[in-house]
Amino acid sequence: MSVPDVQARWSRRINTVSLGAKPAEGGTRGSTVTVGGAEGIPFLDIDGATPFAPAIALDVLDVPPQGWPDPLAEVYSDVWSDPAAWAERAKSLGADLINLRLAGTHPDEGDRSATEAVATVRAVLEAVDLPLIVWGCEVPAKDQEVMPAVAEAAQGEKCLLGAATETDYRTLAAAAQGYGHKLIALSPCDINKAKQVNILISDAGFPLEDIVIYPTTAALGYGMEYVYSILERGRLAALSGDRLMAQPVILDVGYEAWRTKEARVGDEAAGLWGPAWEAVTAGALLQGGADLLVMRHPQAVAAVRQLIAELVADAAVAAT
Amino acid sequence: MIIFAERINGMYRDVRSAIAERDTAVIHRLAQEQLAGGADVLDLNVGPSKGNAVENFLWLAETVHAITDKPLSVDSAKADLLVEVVPRVKEALPSTKLVINSCTAAPQYMNKLIPLAAASGAAIIGLTMDQEGVPGDVERRIECGATFLMTALAAGIPIEDIYLDPIILPVNAAPKQQIHAVEAIRHLAMVHDPPPRFIVGLSNVSQKCLNNRLLNRTFLVMCLAAGLDAAIVDAADRDLVEAMITAEILLGRQLYSDEYVKAWRMQKGLPSEAQAAEV
Repeated sequence: MSVPDVQARWSRRINTVSLGAKPAEGGTRGSTVTVGGAEGIPFLDIDGATPFAPAIALDVLDVPPQGWPDPLAEVYSDVWSDPAAWAERAKSLGADLINLRLAGTHPDEGDRSATEAVATVRAVLEAVDLPLIVWGCEVPAKDQEVMPAVAEAAQGEKCLLGAATETDYRTLAAAAQGYGHKLIALSPCDINKAKQVNILISDAGFPLEDIVIYPTTAALGYGMEYVYSILERGRLAALSGDRLMAQPVILDVGYEAWRTKEARVGDEAAGLWGPAWEAVTAGALLQGGADLLVMRHPQAVAAVRQLIAELVADAAVAAT
Repeated sequence: MIIFAERINGMYRDVRSAIAERDTAVIHRLAQEQLAGGADVLDLNVGPSKGNAVENFLWLAETVHAITDKPLSVDSAKADLLVEVVPRVKEALPSTKLVINSCTAAPQYMNKLIPLAAASGAAIIGLTMDQEGVPGDVERRIECGATFLMTALAAGIPIEDIYLDPIILPVNAAPKQQIHAVEAIRHLAMVHDPPPRFIVGLSNVSQKCLNNRLLNRTFLVMCLAAGLDAAIVDAADRDLVEAMITAEILLGRQLYSDEYVKAWRMQKGLPSEAQAAEV
């Protein structure tokens, strides 16, 4: 009796999105990162190839962070008042990309102007030659002022700009498209909204192939399984042919993991718990289909790098 | 669901006269309407048109192919005609996927058409009837369907190219036969893993009925719930297509989003309603 053929046959693969542009492509980056391209369920070789290993971006803020716990302060506090120096630190810790948050533009967190934000973006672009992810402050009115200026200043660098939402997507999509950037589509832990945001952005004329989905993130013990099931359902829909769900996924692991009670305990265990919580959260979410992880602690990054290497031994290294 | 467009059929007077007069404009307009509605396969039937049926089929196929690369379904109840037509169309349009529509489970049909499908790489639709006619119950439908399926598989036709049609009869003439067809789909889906594809000639259900469009879309939804994969329909019937899209969402075959109808059009690469209105 022959062994039945149980291999899944998928009708679509996940889109690939290339971030960063080298001089030949009109940018100034020394490396680029390609995410996505999975042809089957994550890391299941018989199902389909994983041509690009998941990439890791490290957080950099435009202003010194409020309330980051000691294990992170030990790594970054000497550079965190200078985003350019912080970005250099992130690169030296092995980041594939820099994840720049313009937190200081928030009206209640310093209300930095578009001009100041642009200066920060320029300084980071000059300090390191990695591809750049840039987030606004998630106050739509302010982001609509800041992000078009940022997009223009970084023209040609193929940055990833965030985040477009169901209610606020037109300005950011237009800025990203006008200046040659890619777009993060944010949906609040809701797979139907994830699809809806993509429909809206696409309907506004922005290419589906230039979108990275951000289905929000939750840490281990704080609803991670809910995000996991959303990732999995979205990935299965995409592989089954849904081109509105075929975008690679970015997850904000560091932010969520370091908000947990366990990562913030004030005792000597904190140095272990925090990185462990971040690494375990990232490792679990990778299995659901995460293509781009935003992280914070170098020990967690090292653990996740090792895991990725074991899972995708034959995939291309994300950064080229 | 795979939409087979039924409109290019010589049973319609405009198609019949277009065939007689070799009027490509009429056929192109009808095909465009069906494609704009989301047709995946264009069913071609020369009907009772004048002239040589083989040449008429060839003309229809080439005329439609001039504006689309979509698969074409060659529709006739006459096995001998299909045996002549399919190789000619295949020769004229070698890269076009063909569907043979249709074959019964009677040996004299299967012996001719199943080898033809295998030789030409065509898909084939098997009717759940045989030399004894259309079954009046579910059981005979299952028997005929299973016979056709096993014969086609044994001939080397891939499972995804085998369609079963449980035969739809008009509700005003043959009540109860509709639910028999639905039940036959449900049962035949369990005969083989993975199952073959199921298709219905939908508008038969409402022949000579007053509320034909309402009957069509209601019955389509019932069939989809039983496991239907394809239907021969008027793709320009927007209410029907939207009922189908909605059923696929409710059956969990597609992922819901608030704009799921628009999403369906995007998936198909069709222009949005707004864009279509501008044209």
